Amino acid sequence: MTPLPESLLESVAAAAVREGLADAIFTRLNTPLGRLLVVQGPSGIIRIAFETEREDAVLAEIARTLGPNVIASDRELAPARDALSAYLEGDATQLELPVDLRLTTAPFRRVVLEELRSVPRGQTVSYGELARRAGNPRASRAVGSACARNPVPIVVPCHRVLPSTGRLGNYGGGPERKRVLLELEGAIPRSLRPT
Amino acid sequence: MAVRSTGVLPPFWTLVEAHGDELLVHARKLAGDEHGEDVLQDALLRALRAYPRLRHAEHLRAWLYRVVTSAAIDLHRRRRNEVVTDEPPVQATVDDYDDGAFEQLIEPLSEPTRAALRLRFVDDLDYEGIAARLGCSPAAARQRVSTAVRTLRESFA
Repeated sequence: MTPLPESLLESVAAAAVREGLADAIFTRLNTPLGRLLVVQGPSGIIRIAFETEREDAVLAEIARTLGPNVIASDRELAPARDALSAYLEGDATQLELPVDLRLTTAPFRRVVLEELRSVPRGQTVSYGELARRAGNPRASRAVGSACARNPVPIVVPCHRVLPSTGRLGNYGGGPERKRVLLELEGAIPRSLRPT
Repeated sequence: MAVRSTGVLPPFWTLVEAHGDELLVHARKLAGDEHGEDVLQDALLRALRAYPRLRHAEHLRAWLYRVVTSAAIDLHRRRRNEVVTDEPPVQATVDDYDDGAFEQLIEPLSEPTRAALRLRFVDDLDYEGIAARLGCSPAAARQRVSTAVRTLRESFA
């Protein structure tokens, strides 16, 4: 059985986008952090998933939220692919992509993620400090869960949030990916540098 | 990967990734190797237009087979029409048109049914014309063709 040619699928995707039929577009991207699933909705990147997550569950949530016409296309997502690859391979120091945070429905978590977007590359912030910036200094635990469930990691830089203990803390994609990202950005805490 | 039927429509592309290869085989069977990919491409777009409006999420694979079958029949009709309208009065048009795929498609049906389908899709007659050839009423001719098309769609489900 001849497999489906990639060019046929790309043509279907391009025609679907032209006709306004696509509710969301996704692509799979190989990076130094492993394979990423990147999903774009009508107003920006709505989801990035590390390979630790089940792809079918991620896409099913997208279909429930945006509609069932979820299609794959590397070509339609070429700008996002290029931007992420360049950033993660160290060829670019800025990662500017439109982000859609509608999967984060809890209002406080949403505020936390919005605040987090203004933490620049090379800097880190503590959970407590981010809680303060989001308007509730006592809510550092809630900040933790907002980061743990960040639907758009890397672009919304939850890897830049560290516990005040000087340790690496948790990360949705696992602490090792957090370390790689912070090293890439030259922001690994002194306490975690190899001696 | 098997796609489970639930009340919620799965992401369209999981159906494409699960069944795309066999749908291409089906399209080639109906439209020939040369036109199989065009038929499948057309069918997937039609499916995307209809998918959000489906009322349930069952038998999606069978539904996709039916969409491919419809796309193949329509391609056949379009190409037939092109040949008819472009045909010069005397000299036969040189074209690569091949009835083999259509005959193969309607092969499982009875001869009277096949005759009705040929009059409709190959000779491109309207129902008055088909009725005159078959010696029945136009309503009966329409009925016969639409029953046959439905049978064909179901046989690929």
